[in-house]
Amino acid sequence: MDLIQSIFTSYVALIPVTLAQSLILAFVVLGIMIPFRTLQFPDLTSEGAFPLGGCICGIMIAAGANPALAIAAALCAGFLAGCCTAFIHLRFRIHTLLAGILMMTMLYSINLRIMGKSNLSVFGSPTVYEWAPFVTPGFPVSKIIIAGLIGAAVFIILNLFFKTEKGTALRAVGANPAMAEAQGISVWTATIGGVGLASAFSATGGALMVQSQGFADVNMGLGILINGLAALMIGEAIVGKKSVARQLLAPFVGAIVYYQLVSLCLAAGMPPPDLKLATGLFVLAMLALPSLKRSRGGAPARETIRE
Amino acid sequence: MLEIRSARKTFYKGQPDEKVALDNLDLTLATGEFGVVIGSNGAGKSTMLNAISGALPLDSGQILINGDDVTHIPVHKRATRIARVFQDPMLGTAASMTVAENMLLAELRSKKRTLARGLNAKRLADYRERLSMLGLGLENRLDTRVELLSGGQRQSLSLIMAVGGSPDLLLLDEHTAALDPHTADLVMGATIRAVEALKLTTLMVTHNMQHAVDYGDTVIMLDAGKVRLRISGSEKTHITVADLVAHFAVKSDHMLLGA
Repeated sequence: MDLIQSIFTSYVALIPVTLAQSLILAFVVLGIMIPFRTLQFPDLTSEGAFPLGGCICGIMIAAGANPALAIAAALCAGFLAGCCTAFIHLRFRIHTLLAGILMMTMLYSINLRIMGKSNLSVFGSPTVYEWAPFVTPGFPVSKIIIAGLIGAAVFIILNLFFKTEKGTALRAVGANPAMAEAQGISVWTATIGGVGLASAFSATGGALMVQSQGFADVNMGLGILINGLAALMIGEAIVGKKSVARQLLAPFVGAIVYYQLVSLCLAAGMPPPDLKLATGLFVLAMLALPSLKRSRGGAPARETIRE
Repeated sequence: MLEIRSARKTFYKGQPDEKVALDNLDLTLATGEFGVVIGSNGAGKSTMLNAISGALPLDSGQILINGDDVTHIPVHKRATRIARVFQDPMLGTAASMTVAENMLLAELRSKKRTLARGLNAKRLADYRERLSMLGLGLENRLDTRVELLSGGQRQSLSLIMAVGGSPDLLLLDEHTAALDPHTADLVMGATIRAVEALKLTTLMVTHNMQHAVDYGDTVIMLDAGKVRLRISGSEKTHITVADLVAHFAVKSDHMLLGA
């Protein structure tokens, strides 16, 4: 009984910190969801775009720049990175996954170049979290408020955008590229813009993370993709994905639930090194479930993706 | 008006299995003319349609629509003037999107897409009215995802999407071939009504000789990448399935069956 109580106490103590962290990482999950679900373009760029945003934000606030400006710069850089991945795929007919791997590998060097070293402390530099109203800066609540507000704004804007004429066209490119083209939609523009937008969100997540944790690290993206996928799967299992609003809500709900689960596992004494294995197995199970449900025989691939 | 001038397309050039799909093909379709294209498998029908839509670049030759050279214009830009219904009902619609969203995509084919809300009340009312002409009840299923519709319903939707906005050229690529006879008749009937009402310049590929006899102003027979025969005017009105079949060098089962 004591054991359960101590697990519970240590978990509860971590809830606010974990919530703040998950609201920040929700941007990465969003950056994974947009190409994967609306463009049928499985994209790995986020593993490089997340630290890219972090490094740019880190170097800028260390130099005394406005923290909001640093986030904007990270966003733009992430957008460019995503555009490059989409361009590599479209122009050279390279598989989307390989294009993403190429991009994230190259981004590692770029991130090192940007920072000049592998790790940069920005502790004590001004952050956007200090602008949270009514709360003492430095506490998780301020991070929850700021990250939550930005997240809510992004959700509302994207939800409106995907229902506009341009947004509908973007979704059509994912649903049926040949049909979209026959309806006068440029697959190039939509794919480059869409993947760029997604990576912009991943980079924004990186920038918010650096301001939250007080340091930037070139390795901060390691494993972010599998975490994000796991979060997305959980989110879709909870809110579904049958409408634009639900599909957009899934990354946020998923991130919040996933990181609470991780926190619970760690509080229960799961060794941190096992975390990636557990996450990987979880994602595998979620992806394999539909083909396991169907009885034996060649189950069709669950995900139809663009080659 | 559609003009194809000495279009040439060779597949697997320089390889043992080299195939000349279009062999200096010339074809003119006057504004408002309804051409029915027939020909055995491998005659170049699909290649020609793909070349017109822009999906396949020509090796040489020109394609003009209403006098404008579109030979080097990409598919999505040509789409402002060309509408197409594919043989496969899956190809012409976005399965994971709703009926109304598909209608919206088609409506915007020749327009500039803005950041305004796509599906407004005015549009929904318009779509409801246009879909009701089919008599399939699609007007009450505007929010249904297209993947839940039957093949015939999807193909009918594709047709309504294609004829909306009066394209300069309508391409029908064996668009009833994948449907059961009853649904095929239904879709064909709707096609004819729309083409006649809107006076669309239309090119329809078919393997169904009865359709070639019954519909259209002109029958165009392709063979080995060339126009082998062109029948129009009063000659077209008197032609029979047997006459057409007689023109085929190789008689496939499809044609012997007539329908």
